[in-house]
Amino acid sequence: MKDWAYLTTVEEMEAATNSLLETGKKVGADSWQQRVKNQTPHCGFGEAGTCCRICSMGPCRVTPKSPRGICGCDVHGIVGRNYLRFTAGGAATHSDHGREIMHTLYQTKEGGNYQVKDPEKLIRIAKEWGVETEGKDIYDLAHEIAEIGLLEYGKPFGTQRFLKRAPEHTQQLWHDAEIEPRAIDREVSQSMHMTHMGCSSLPEALIRQSLRAGLSDGWGGSMMGTEFSDVMFGTPKPVDTTANLGVMEKDNVNIVVHGHDPSLSEMIVYYANDPEMIAYAKSMGAKGITVSGVCCTSNEVAMRHGIPMAGNFLNQENVVLTGACEAIVVDVQCIFPALGPLSKCFHTKFITTSPIARMPDSEFIRFSAANAGENAKAIVKMAIENFKNRKPELVHIPDLKQNARVGYSVEAIKKVLDGVANSQVDEFGTTKPLIECVHSGVLRGAVAMVGCNNPKVRPDTAHIGLMKKLLENDIILIVSGCSAQAAAKAGLMDPEKAKEYCGAGLKRVCELAGIPPVLHMGSCVDISRMMILASDIAKDWGINISQVPVVGCAPEWMSEKAVSIGNYVVATGIETFLGVDPYTKGSEEVTALLQGEHGIKDWVEARFVVETDIDKLGDKMIECIEAKRAALGI
Amino acid sequence: MTLFDRVFGGNDYNYDRTVAAIDSAIAQYGEGESVSFPDTAYSLPCYYAVTGEKITNLGEMKAAMATIKAKMTRNNRLHDAFESGIASALCAEFLEALKYIHGATPYTEPELGHLSDAFVRNLGVPLVTGDIPGVAVIIGGADDPAETVALVKSYQSQGILVTLTGECIKQCADAGYKMGENVRVVPLGYEMQSVIHVVSVALRAALIFGNIQPGDFKALAKYTMDRVRAFVNAYKPLSDEIVSYGAGAICLGFPVVSNETENMFRVPKSLIQQLDTSKWNATSLEARDIKLKITNIDIPVAFATAFEGEIIRKGDMQVEVDGSRVDCFELVRTKEASEVEDHKITVEGPEIDEIPVGSKISLSYTVEVAGKAMQPDFESVMERKIHSWLNCIEGVMHTGQRDMIRVRISKADFEAGFKFKHIGEVLYAKVKSEFEAVVDKCQVHIVVDPEKNKELRAAANEVFDRRDARLASMTDESVDQFYTCIMCQAFSPSHVCIVTPERLGLCGAVSWLDAKATKELDPNGPCQIVPKTGCTDERLGAYESVNEAVSKYSHGALEKVTLYSLFQDPMTSCGCFECICGVEPVSMGVVITCREHAGMTPLGMTFSEMASMTGGGVQTPGFMGHGKHFIASKKFIAAEGGPGRIVWLPKMLKDQMRERLDATALELYGVENFTDMIADETICTEDPEALMNYLSEVGHPVLSMEPFDM
Repeated sequence: MKDWAYLTTVEEMEAATNSLLETGKKVGADSWQQRVKNQTPHCGFGEAGTCCRICSMGPCRVTPKSPRGICGCDVHGIVGRNYLRFTAGGAATHSDHGREIMHTLYQTKEGGNYQVKDPEKLIRIAKEWGVETEGKDIYDLAHEIAEIGLLEYGKPFGTQRFLKRAPEHTQQLWHDAEIEPRAIDREVSQSMHMTHMGCSSLPEALIRQSLRAGLSDGWGGSMMGTEFSDVMFGTPKPVDTTANLGVMEKDNVNIVVHGHDPSLSEMIVYYANDPEMIAYAKSMGAKGITVSGVCCTSNEVAMRHGIPMAGNFLNQENVVLTGACEAIVVDVQCIFPALGPLSKCFHTKFITTSPIARMPDSEFIRFSAANAGENAKAIVKMAIENFKNRKPELVHIPDLKQNARVGYSVEAIKKVLDGVANSQVDEFGTTKPLIECVHSGVLRGAVAMVGCNNPKVRPDTAHIGLMKKLLENDIILIVSGCSAQAAAKAGLMDPEKAKEYCGAGLKRVCELAGIPPVLHMGSCVDISRMMILASDIAKDWGINISQVPVVGCAPEWMSEKAVSIGNYVVATGIETFLGVDPYTKGSEEVTALLQGEHGIKDWVEARFVVETDIDKLGDKMIECIEAKRAALGI
Repeated sequence: MTLFDRVFGGNDYNYDRTVAAIDSAIAQYGEGESVSFPDTAYSLPCYYAVTGEKITNLGEMKAAMATIKAKMTRNNRLHDAFESGIASALCAEFLEALKYIHGATPYTEPELGHLSDAFVRNLGVPLVTGDIPGVAVIIGGADDPAETVALVKSYQSQGILVTLTGECIKQCADAGYKMGENVRVVPLGYEMQSVIHVVSVALRAALIFGNIQPGDFKALAKYTMDRVRAFVNAYKPLSDEIVSYGAGAICLGFPVVSNETENMFRVPKSLIQQLDTSKWNATSLEARDIKLKITNIDIPVAFATAFEGEIIRKGDMQVEVDGSRVDCFELVRTKEASEVEDHKITVEGPEIDEIPVGSKISLSYTVEVAGKAMQPDFESVMERKIHSWLNCIEGVMHTGQRDMIRVRISKADFEAGFKFKHIGEVLYAKVKSEFEAVVDKCQVHIVVDPEKNKELRAAANEVFDRRDARLASMTDESVDQFYTCIMCQAFSPSHVCIVTPERLGLCGAVSWLDAKATKELDPNGPCQIVPKTGCTDERLGAYESVNEAVSKYSHGALEKVTLYSLFQDPMTSCGCFECICGVEPVSMGVVITCREHAGMTPLGMTFSEMASMTGGGVQTPGFMGHGKHFIASKKFIAAEGGPGRIVWLPKMLKDQMRERLDATALELYGVENFTDMIADETICTEDPEALMNYLSEVGHPVLSMEPFDM
């Protein structure tokens, strides 16, 4: 047994949350914990995916007595359509995030709010896309690439450019299964079209389109979001930061950024470090300004600037409940509308910035790339001026904080691997050292753990519990999104201590490479990084992605985006393990397609595994990894 | 077959044959027959280090097999492979120990088998200073013996300690390659299991220098990984047995480089396939993160610390500089910058090729340095290093100092084109590289002319006399600061030496002047100033400032030390001390023994056994490691009565210290020829009664001293 004493436990985090809820009670605040109670039990038809309200003849609910809807659609068609619509919602969301990034890229200019910070990467992608770079001004190139990227959303012909990054075998599988994504918007639109009343009810066709819409996200919109965020804001490299609510500073102006798009948060971070603003904060009685983050916006700025992570998805109310949050500034996605009323119970300013995420009880400062600097400065100023409105009797920041090393982009991982390569034997810039570790058995494999929190799972227990189990079994973790923050909050990204929790193999790898055993690869959009990593490993190894002892896992997922992600991860050839059912259990056929031996597995060599018993979920992942090893004879 | 399966297979093979060997030994000698290795205080060192248990006889060894078996778990995890590797290594140690049973001497040259504690302790300082930058463990041999020899030579010329196991020994022997502890090419044995003897050295280093508690395997493995820069070079074919040792080596942090491809795997920085064996040196150094101190010296022969112990016999000698017969000397002088032309090397008189072979000649070399930060006090510091510098030249042997030097240059060097001027090149390069912070310019003047040297020698002696006078006047009372020395902390993380004019560092290598120079050379380095303030007890040599320094630089491991007491917070040791003294309770005196003396002392303990009582930064009242020259210091256990307490010394040490010790005793106690009153191994070894008889017979001053205040 390992000594897990260094970890911050879920119990400690819950105790901290409970103390905050006490504050909430005092001011009459609502909470998600309460709302979960109010919403329980959930609708059984909804949970099984067997309710259809696509047309106004219904809603139709399928039961053994009434096995078909009014139009005659059977349960498989209904579940399949719901699944595809869910996927399309996620694909649209991620991809639209990517589109925003491309628009921002289009507005970069020398000395402007947004600049090209990684020109090398831009040139690399330009070459990949067959765009002439020689003798071109970097900003002309950026604008040209932005336009080409934007066309990926609506081009009339052809498939996504980034598909070429996948191993040929994977590309062939996609081609043969007819799931190569075309224009991103087309895949979303077509998904909506297929699920319209009177279109597809054949489960196989609906699931194929789910995979295709998912791929348009992972290998299209999300990948652009990631790659061009790197171009503009810098490709992440290892940086030390801290995590959990204790990162908020009692004596400082606390600005919490929340959401997903780094364009806003980058600017907030910039102005919060502005000496003029710091001086202003001091003049208002604060000692300084602390920016911390929640959700994936947090991941973005943590990866690039070491901005501390206050918490993940289900901690968003907690930051307000500390009574020390001057402003919670949000962009898009995963933002609780509850923050509006909650902020009214405190002095906190709830600032919405995107026309995409408009909410009652918020102050809306419309953020635009052109006026980003002014907008951000105004927001920081507003937070500073709000410091004096704090109610000292309500201020309570739980003393929980862990060190974390984050910033493991694919480029950074390769750099780490170069560090353990031997110049007398190895070539640099490959994943081969990692492959050697897996091939020799020192590492058994890898798990890409991603996704959200969901009250259906005791928050963070699945993430942390599974990670512990995997680490002990010499399985390295690459993580993103709220899963990454769970790890960081617990202390599993501590570059010194976390390795002590690992099996001898993973521990040695961490020691030699100087890494924590759980590698933070970024936000949920950045799961595209994991796809690139898996592709590079397969290519460097000379085997198919599906043969590599690596699996995906989203134990506490909740959003449509997560389902879209699941589809592209599976479609890339990576078995994906879910701890929450994706509203499909109402249909045996759809379940068999997604999870069976001869469903999507016949098309893409991987499938979903759904297991709500988290311990069993871990066992199943280890079994799957060991089975892949055995198949390779290693 | 997976890598782990191979490790498990090798481990099973070793386990089975060890069980059989123990049973057969028991059948022959019975369970009570003792088992041990010679010249070690650490029982069967690997087993002791790993488990914390000492094995003394065959019965215990048989019982220990259960402990080994418990490590042999078979899950497909690196943990199990590591444990099995260690289990396999422990079996190898048992098999080797059985060879020594019943007083057998199983190894004959060139094989050395088990290596003594003294060997380990001798490695301390050079490993710390980087003079031995690493340890190469070569296993097996290349298809072409010349390739093996070339590999050995490549490491040796970098100062890396080389151990040989298997075919490579024969290949080196057949090639007439010089091997032995003195040239740092150490043949262990022909059988693969003999590789355990170098593992034994690494693990004892952890116990001796690192104060690792036997049985604390986690700390042990961390120590070897972080601090023992060893690596393995294993020629194909690799048997499962070797693969299992490899797992043990990797567990301890030692990478394995091999050209085996059959059924073999790669692990970054740990198990490296390098098919081009001519690149093994570079591959290994990179894998183990070994950085070499590069000194490019323009001479026609090799220059490396590995040659330091090389002996040039009369028959191999081209010429000899013999200070005992003719006028010779070596001298470092400080000059004005305008008087020194950098890198000017002059030879006055005939060069080596103008002198008949076998001549004993008069030769002197004067190193003249200039620099803004140069202080005349540093002259002797540099001068004392000449001995080690010239010895690093392949085929050159240097002994003595000042005007009592002897330098032999081999015929092989002469044939390679070595000239007197190359002595100048070496001196120039080393002075400039090691003292770059204080020496801006340096020139060397070599004189090969008896008449001229006679004159120069007289002048040099005036310099030496002036220096001695200054040194004599330099006492703990006459200075206002002491120095820390934490040079050993790379190896012994919680030890701190406090160096004073009258108490040099326990390794013997750092005097107060050395420490002062070191501080000048590297202001943030291992030697820091300790102001002589806050004296709380003059007799003990207790200072608040010393305690502060000790606490700070031991990172809190140690709170206080005294400078002059053996009982009251005695100074700690790293483990590489030249001598150790321990209380002899019958006579109320102290026994001192030194690393070179392997024999027993009247305490019933050898050097190794006494040494194992302390070291690693631990305070053990009644035992203390120290430098040789401290013996003749008036401050030697001054709180307990001074060197008059010394009742026993190895004869060799007596002879070395006689002159100075007699002088000190005369001054302190008014006793003539004090050294003769001290017993040695020719008078008594283990018997305290014989010791007492002798002390009474000669009227040793200890008899009139108060009993120790223990």
